[in-house]
Amino acid sequence: MAEDLGMNGNRLMTRAAGALALLALLAGCNGGSGSGVNAAPPLYAQIAQATRASIAKNRMHRAERPPLTRKMLDEIEGSYIEVTLERPDIFAYLSAALVRRDGTPGEVVQWRTEDEVTLTMRNGMLIATRGLGGDLVSADVAVAEGVTGPASGGEKVMYVRTGDLEERRLVLSCDLADLGPAPVEIVELTHPARHLRESCTAEGAAGGRVVNDYWVDSRSGIVWQSRQWAGPHIGYMRIRRLTTG
Amino acid sequence: MTERDPAISARTALAALGLALALALPLPLAAEDILLSAPGSQEPSFDPAPPPSLNFYGSPGLIDMPSAEMLPDAQFTTAFSSFGGQGRLTTTFQALPWLSASFRYNGIRDWNYGGFDTYYDRGFDVRVRLLSEGRYRPAVAVGLQDFVGTGIYAGEYIVATKGFDTPALSPGRLPGRLKLSAGVGWGRLGTNNSFGAPFGNDRPAYDPESTGGKVAYDQWFRGPAAFFGGLEWQADERWSVKAEYSSDAYNFETGVTSVFERKSDFNFGVEWQASESTRLGAYYLYGSRFGLAANIQVNPSRPPNRIAAPAPQPVAVRVPKVDNPLSWSEDWAGPAGAAAASQAAGQGAGQAAANRQLLRDLLQTRLSEQGLELESISLSADRAELRYRNTRYSSNAIAVGRAARVLAATLPNSVETFRLVPVRRGLALSAVTLRRSDLEALEFAPDASRALYAVTAIGEAAPLPPAGALGPVGSYPSYRWSLGPYFDPSYFDPDRPFRLDFGLSLSMTYEFAPGWLVSGNIRQRIAGNVKDGRPSNSVLPHVRTDQTAYAQEDTVLNRLYMARQWRPGGALYARVTGGYLEKMFGGVSAELLWKPVNSRLGLGVEANYVRQRDFDQRFGFQDYSVFTGHASAYLELGNGYLAEIDAGRYLAGDVGATVSLDRTFSNGWSVGGWFTVTDVSAEDFGEGSFDKGIRFTIPVNWFLGKPTQQAINFGIRPTQRDGGQRLNVPGRLYEQVRDSHAKALSDQWPRIWE
Repeated sequence: MAEDLGMNGNRLMTRAAGALALLALLAGCNGGSGSGVNAAPPLYAQIAQATRASIAKNRMHRAERPPLTRKMLDEIEGSYIEVTLERPDIFAYLSAALVRRDGTPGEVVQWRTEDEVTLTMRNGMLIATRGLGGDLVSADVAVAEGVTGPASGGEKVMYVRTGDLEERRLVLSCDLADLGPAPVEIVELTHPARHLRESCTAEGAAGGRVVNDYWVDSRSGIVWQSRQWAGPHIGYMRIRRLTTG
Repeated sequence: MTERDPAISARTALAALGLALALALPLPLAAEDILLSAPGSQEPSFDPAPPPSLNFYGSPGLIDMPSAEMLPDAQFTTAFSSFGGQGRLTTTFQALPWLSASFRYNGIRDWNYGGFDTYYDRGFDVRVRLLSEGRYRPAVAVGLQDFVGTGIYAGEYIVATKGFDTPALSPGRLPGRLKLSAGVGWGRLGTNNSFGAPFGNDRPAYDPESTGGKVAYDQWFRGPAAFFGGLEWQADERWSVKAEYSSDAYNFETGVTSVFERKSDFNFGVEWQASESTRLGAYYLYGSRFGLAANIQVNPSRPPNRIAAPAPQPVAVRVPKVDNPLSWSEDWAGPAGAAAASQAAGQGAGQAAANRQLLRDLLQTRLSEQGLELESISLSADRAELRYRNTRYSSNAIAVGRAARVLAATLPNSVETFRLVPVRRGLALSAVTLRRSDLEALEFAPDASRALYAVTAIGEAAPLPPAGALGPVGSYPSYRWSLGPYFDPSYFDPDRPFRLDFGLSLSMTYEFAPGWLVSGNIRQRIAGNVKDGRPSNSVLPHVRTDQTAYAQEDTVLNRLYMARQWRPGGALYARVTGGYLEKMFGGVSAELLWKPVNSRLGLGVEANYVRQRDFDQRFGFQDYSVFTGHASAYLELGNGYLAEIDAGRYLAGDVGATVSLDRTFSNGWSVGGWFTVTDVSAEDFGEGSFDKGIRFTIPVNWFLGKPTQQAINFGIRPTQRDGGQRLNVPGRLYEQVRDSHAKALSDQWPRIWE
């Protein structure tokens, strides 16, 4: 009798130990001092976490957009844009985090999401992305001082980071067309704008065509709305200016 | 022995699962797979054309016959096929655009010959493209199948393939493609309706008793030859059908043994592309059997989740000096030159020291936020040298960029030159020198990567920080620990092709000063069957073949050692390690490496005195001890190819050399192979004749898409024997050093802006 009990106890212990071990297996854990703070969690924990995040992200795509009203936007301080990535159909609001000039003509504005993704524009044209993966490292765009949006047709060069961390140069030959006045309505406000279209052909092995659209107001110097191509990995993004700060 | 039979397919599938595990992991994550290019999508693309489909041998081809197609460069495939009781698991790597290599493991049920009722074997294939497909010209390839080993599948072929577009099945869909292949086969592929032996008849018959391992070059293209051919029609981007005429008579399987019945020369199949990487097929072969195949194709340069680090803060731009000269004052750094002698200078120096400490504290905090740990900072009025450890990013270029941004955001305006020195476990690896004004001017410039590279110097770092450098606050001693699962596989036991132990692994590392550490690892097995394996039959000292004896205990001390690393000067790196170095050996190990930052060549020597550990892997040792050591040469060949030659004395006391070749990718992938030839005779070595194998490194961030330095490493030997075995000492120098040197930094330079 006592032996039986002992056996049961052992079995229970073994089971409890097994369950604990299984939990540890699934989770993994780590710690330490100093550099330990930055040490990555164990491999399998990261894989599990990434799988969950991936599933969550896929669900998020289908999420409804919150309805925007001008009244809400008027209460927000600072400049904001709304950006939609067409391919995965996800969107985000970005605030102007940096406005500066450098040796190249045009004004640089860097827009940033709360989860550390940035888009950088020069006179309203996309010249860099960060934090998306397959990012646009830099770009040579048709910029001219005092001209909002594309200043001319011609060669446009995109430097894109690929899956093997290398950078690939993509040369586009573009024609610029002015499609005339086309006022843009953005959340209850209508802005005067001209519709400019950049139609580009890619040179070399990449092949294919790119069409970028801009709705620019040259008087205020604002690109109210655009649809721009950010490279083979990210694809097209739709951008509209919600607030001007 | 008979009870094994019903389980064979399950076991082969388990082996397939084991090999494919790391490759299959991306699948659930890659939910955004886009299947081929949709019609109407005309965006520029870097993606290669869809890869060819694979045959039952895992090569591009039809069903049992090959075609002349090549996989896209660097493509890595795993293929499983089964028909008539024959399972084949093949992994193929397209090493060059015109050359691929395969490793295959196969099991044949109902063999009932030579004491095996199920026969397992391994083999290697190599394929070379002779002509690429032109407008009118077909592609032509030559292949050697199972060209080392016991040669059950030994055969050679020359094959031509030409593709034609076919109309789309319905409007709005992609056009189809018809591919015709025809070829001549020898060996196994020349056995059905042979037309003669064009290159002579002196080919010995297949001998199941041979120990194998010899490259059978004297048999290639000898003996009877026969024609084969067939077609593949890809109706659309998902479905295709295949039909072929086989030149393989399966003489041994249908004549000597009765594995299956061969009633027809023709095979038929249907294939379905399940996702971008996965393809499934169903077939009817030789008029008697149904078959199935599943393939996974991945490409190291096309990760399922693109690696993205959180966007960096923009480079802080200084006010121009003309606008605010005061903010550019150098006074913060203390009086310089003659003024230093005056009385006021004494006070100034005290203030300057306080300023430096304040900056050090700020830097330490801000670097830590970026996953970088401050090792030392040396500040003068116009220069800063920062030494740091990168604990987050697999790419060292991104770490350089983040460190430079932190310096630009923190240091007084007068500091113009940044010298960044990555440090790993006490080793200063290289020095990247940047001008702060270049960072400010180029961040948003077109072609920013190349522009910055042109004004950056990458050179040798001094072994120690300059005098007066400030160390971190409270960084040493440091420790870290982790608890997680481990998996310990054992392959190709003739009784059971795949054995696995798994359990919990507890690791602790204590660094009591830069370059000094004590590290230990304890494993607790939860379950596994490695302990049921075969005992060693080796005639050499059992330096590696006692793995079954080593797998008897559940709780083991895997490693416990102390190590010191330092820079003796020049381009030299040194390491001394002592303790329980690995599962089977303990002792002392010393290594010296010469590797200039800008050189593609590295030279090293390593000497070890080790004693074999007790099977229970506690603190005891057995009687066997050995001096083992190597002289090594490492060469970066370009295009990611890394060659290594190690010559010296191995664990069993044998003397010889190892040649390895790996193709490495900037993102951390590496695929390669090695072979070792020593003075041990093929007979003493046993099955396989000499040591050889293939190995992979798959970085975790490749499928996580987030910065992490972890990687999955595994190597596979067709047979584990005792000849040509090296000590498994932790922390060899070359791999710690190479990825911070000029070649690696320049290969991934664009990441400096990430």
